[in-house]
Amino acid sequence: MEARAGYDRREFLKAAVAAGGVAALSACLDITDDPVPTGVDDPTTLPERQHAWNDRVRTDEYGNVKLPRHQSLLYLNLDHEGTPTETDREVVRDALRTLDRAYERSNEGLLHSIAYSPSYFERFDASLPEEIDLPPPRRLSPFEEPKFDTQDALLHLASDRADVILAAEAALNGERERVNGITVDAPLTDAMSIADRRSGFVGSGMPAERQDVGGIPDGNPVPEASPLFMGFEAGFRGNQATEDYVTIGEGAFAGGTTKHVSRLRQRLADWYGEQDFEQRVAELFSPAHAADGLVEGVGENLGSDSGLTPEMIENVREHAREFGRVGHAQKAARANRDDEGNVRLLRRHVESTDGDVAALHFPSLQRGISAFEEVREAMNGTDLTDEPAIRQRVNNGILEYIFTTHRGNFLVPPRRHRILPPSRPE
Amino acid sequence: MNRRAFLAAGSAAGVAALAGCGSLESRAIDIPPVLDDRPDAVYVPGHVEGMDMVGMGTVGDYAVALSYSYPHRFWTVTGDERERTSIEDADAVHLMATVWDRKSGMVLPDVGVAVEITQDGSLVAEETIYAMLSQPMGVHHGANFAGLDEGDYEVAVRVGATTSRPTGAFVGRFDEPATATFDFTFDRSEMREIRFDRLDRGGERDALEAMSMENVPTGTAPAADELPGGTVTATAGDVRYVATVLEPPAGVDSVGSYLAVSPRTRYNGYHLSRMGLAVTLDRDGESIAEAELTRTIDPELGYHYGTTVPDGGNGEVSIAVDTPPQVARHEGYETAFFDVPTATLSV
Repeated sequence: MEARAGYDRREFLKAAVAAGGVAALSACLDITDDPVPTGVDDPTTLPERQHAWNDRVRTDEYGNVKLPRHQSLLYLNLDHEGTPTETDREVVRDALRTLDRAYERSNEGLLHSIAYSPSYFERFDASLPEEIDLPPPRRLSPFEEPKFDTQDALLHLASDRADVILAAEAALNGERERVNGITVDAPLTDAMSIADRRSGFVGSGMPAERQDVGGIPDGNPVPEASPLFMGFEAGFRGNQATEDYVTIGEGAFAGGTTKHVSRLRQRLADWYGEQDFEQRVAELFSPAHAADGLVEGVGENLGSDSGLTPEMIENVREHAREFGRVGHAQKAARANRDDEGNVRLLRRHVESTDGDVAALHFPSLQRGISAFEEVREAMNGTDLTDEPAIRQRVNNGILEYIFTTHRGNFLVPPRRHRILPPSRPE
Repeated sequence: MNRRAFLAAGSAAGVAALAGCGSLESRAIDIPPVLDDRPDAVYVPGHVEGMDMVGMGTVGDYAVALSYSYPHRFWTVTGDERERTSIEDADAVHLMATVWDRKSGMVLPDVGVAVEITQDGSLVAEETIYAMLSQPMGVHHGANFAGLDEGDYEVAVRVGATTSRPTGAFVGRFDEPATATFDFTFDRSEMREIRFDRLDRGGERDALEAMSMENVPTGTAPAADELPGGTVTATAGDVRYVATVLEPPAGVDSVGSYLAVSPRTRYNGYHLSRMGLAVTLDRDGESIAEAELTRTIDPELGYHYGTTVPDGGNGEVSIAVDTPPQVARHEGYETAFFDVPTATLSV
């Protein structure tokens, strides 16, 4: 890939992070010269929770977390059958420590976490401790037939700098010997192979810039201000679980969490073509949001929560009757609160244009995978389809426009067990 | 050149090629406008279009047929509102999927259907398609698809579990999704062979006959004398009701008798699905039961709306339409089945 004179730098980086690879990277580095903050000398000083990102990234004026703009999901397989060897562990330890030393753990440097699948833990004779709620991935709606991601591990990289993601990947796969001034001891690929690489991005302006892809209709419908292809803000502070809440509290994996990651194709021709703004608000939030004009533009007026009230959540059936539609947020919220009203899921979804198709990578963190499954079931709204206007996917939130292609479940262990952990760590 | 510029250039070339063929201009401009004096009822549209079969297959509990025709205008229905979906310039075909029980042959109107189109493994289009009612095609799911050039495609028809209650021998069936895949060659000259006729009798209170589609059912409801129990009939607007009272079928977990109401279209007798129906039952001038009916599929009773009622003697049943059929309408059905008067029948 070549950086041409007059070629917009952002355009170039966007293409580069999607394409990946060392060629993309070397070109990147030629045109990005801001220094990247370096990491720690002693990685054991880093926080125990791999998933503790919120105090390491930007927040907006309302305290909403702004996820790093560029992300990469590396699906990894151990190179052999059976349990990991000490050599495997040394490789993985060195590879992750290299990243910790090379980059500040922040949006300006690099955030990363590694997680392990139920298939990985099957390598061990002993099952996971009872308190770990980590079933294999399964079908979560009466109409989807996703592929199940059963790779051993998932390494999630996130940074506001595209060149950081690319350089980190190059260090992991042995294409670089030094990364941000740090020597790469061993590439991760000495022990694990990269079975799949998925790239993501999020943040205002980015979807609008990238809307020339399959799934987004002509006419540049995605607003410039929107962080997501559907044209609205999401992930409001008031509608997200805290990192404390999703953290496993006891047992060998205390300090860890579980992670469900789905990939959903977005087909937004009818979203933007057949639905007007009010109908989109009704289907994404609730019909009451539309009727009362609660959402302006991309939702910049909403502040720190989506404006969803207990009444709206409770009245979903009445809305179905009165408006012939129900909202995605109001349906899902029915299962996304505990008895005390705390939100159960911490959603960290990002957009993707891998393969020139608009898609959503949807990592969700929760104490146990069942919580995610329950919220997804509520989001299906199957219980509301006895109202004739509410169909399996039509007038039923945003189900008409999203197509789940992949699902995977993972355990994000605490840092002390992040290196190819056994199922019953000491 | 970006992707869209590339696609635009491709289609410009296509138009030039077509223009060279003389009379083969875009089909869209041939379609006569919607009749401006159409009645608020079932009527014969101003033109009729045929269809061509892509294929038929069985998967899971389902049999699936895929057919195609020219892009259609149609009307979606949400509650009492009707919204027209016009033909867009980019629309290439109207794809139709008919889904039925592979054992009984009964059309299943309440399954969600999505279509995924790929070419050489790359995604070309993917849409949730709509439950529809058409005079020649009957009960099916369909949508217009844009962005197809002539060539070979793989079309995956993804069928969701049914949202209507299965009873009788249907209990435990149709609860899993399944995908039927078809090879589809899109060839405009072949599509132009599909019947397209203007009709002099457009606007008449009547309906076009169901097409004969080899082994593909159209969703015609069983005749009154084919249903079990003592059947009675009633008429309300263009809705024809057949009702029967019998022992509750398996899958209905209440005691008493079972009232099954089967609404169908006037003329063609197609199942009317996704309605909201409410009944009151009077005996000796006294109201003894009120209920919203449950959308149900049953191999004996067909697609119907049912509830249990107290045992004992004859009575008068009033059937009110709370929600008109929530199915998209092809031309000739778009103004029908709204504002249906309450029907009364003796059971």
